[in-house]
Amino acid sequence: MKRQIPLILIMTLCFLFVFHAFIPHKYSQDFYQWWLSWVRAMTPFAVVLGVMSLSMIHWTKISRRLPNWQYSAVTLIALAFTTLAGFLWGTQPGTPYMWIFTNMQMPMASTMFSLLAFYIASAAYKAFRARSLEATVLLLAAIIVMLAQVPIGMAISRWIPQISDWILNVPNMAAKRGIALGVGLGMTATSLKIMLGIERTYLGSGD
Amino acid sequence: MNFFERIQALDRRWIYLLVALAITVPLVLVFDSKTYTTEPTENIYQLIDSFSGRDDRAIMINFMHDASTMPELFPMEVAILRHAFLRDVKVFTICFTPTAAPLVDYAINTVKEEFPDIQSGVDYINIGYKPAALYLPIVLGMGDDIAEAVETDAEGRQIANLPMMENIQNYNEMNLVIETSGSSFGAMWYIYARPRFGVNVAAGITAVMAADAYPFLQTGQLIGILAGLKGAAEYEKMVDLFAAQDRPFSRERAREEHVSITDDAVLYKFRVARIGMNAQTVAHILIIVFIIIGNVGYFFEKQREKKV
Repeated sequence: MKRQIPLILIMTLCFLFVFHAFIPHKYSQDFYQWWLSWVRAMTPFAVVLGVMSLSMIHWTKISRRLPNWQYSAVTLIALAFTTLAGFLWGTQPGTPYMWIFTNMQMPMASTMFSLLAFYIASAAYKAFRARSLEATVLLLAAIIVMLAQVPIGMAISRWIPQISDWILNVPNMAAKRGIALGVGLGMTATSLKIMLGIERTYLGSGD
Repeated sequence: MNFFERIQALDRRWIYLLVALAITVPLVLVFDSKTYTTEPTENIYQLIDSFSGRDDRAIMINFMHDASTMPELFPMEVAILRHAFLRDVKVFTICFTPTAAPLVDYAINTVKEEFPDIQSGVDYINIGYKPAALYLPIVLGMGDDIAEAVETDAEGRQIANLPMMENIQNYNEMNLVIETSGSSFGAMWYIYARPRFGVNVAAGITAVMAADAYPFLQTGQLIGILAGLKGAAEYEKMVDLFAAQDRPFSRERAREEHVSITDDAVLYKFRVARIGMNAQTVAHILIIVFIIIGNVGYFFEKQREKKV
């Protein structure tokens, strides 16, 4: 029963949504509206579930003094403090919540993302080698596209942005489209397998 | 150890130091550089410009990112909002991730400081954060009735009662959605809303994701893209060149005329992307130099190994 009920629910809803997409009948529209009210009602529970899960995982790490438990303590304190700041003083400019966002969240998140520049530079120096013909073509394409992305590319030659556009619009697009088609077909096949009950791994193991 | 062996084995901390200098020095010592506009950016500018002064037209900016991608995406959002406020174009803002909600407020307030007459509910509506579970229902629901699909704005007011909604009902009026994102570039809108309701979709994306968006630009599913900091810089330039000077848009002038970025007459926050492009220029050149030096070292090493 633990597997059969979710399976029946998922299969039924999958077919109902397919019908809704292709048959714009009143019953189909009513079903969609009914589903929307369920989504609205369920979303807050998902937030509660997320906070509970996060708290339990980190609290276990702290109570058992597992390696790096101090980070878990920081996470929980930040969670509690930010939530309280939002609830007590609101989220408008000038409030503690907005102060936390602009002075802590923004610089920390941007710093993490900016590390990419350092890794790319290091990888370009250490690993980007013209070891084969394919690697050489890739290397030249990368240099042209990088130059075209900055004003100096146009200043060197107006051909650089044009070649870069060609690289992006022809070989890049052909490859991306091929990948997108492959992903699309894969998604369709997986969806069909789920709808027909062939694919069941998402239900987890056990009875 | 000879010279080529030495450069092959260079400690990566030297590389990190050079990258840090290449990025920070041009941000501190600002020099003038040209910004060349491109068609995908011009298309977005032109469409927004065509909504000027009309109360039966609006655009929507969907903030689909958190603070990590702010350096690239925030200048785009500021430039688009500035353009809209200068040209009296109605704006909706929305986000589906909680971490984007403060960003929306921050972007609006950054621009609004220079426009004291702009009013919430009259010139713009910040719908604010809506749970991601409601993303698809909202995208589809807006095709019938925006006010019904989202119900309330970020301040909890009924959207249907706000003055801006008098002549705006659905995608027929709110005819452009711009998604600023580090990854998704408007997929929900061009898959579901564009074919069904004909809404125009554009994307503001990080430079690393730009290559992924080109197929959708070519098919017309996206009417334009702002690709990374470069896209933001191009948009900033066009706002300075046309909207800020109350001149009509022209692609030729956008491409030919130059706007100085060392001129303090334009506030720093409205030229931050173009200043950032200076840092990006130096960083790109440095990476290209790294690639060349690394390959020269590799080539000579290989030659030496062959001889041995």
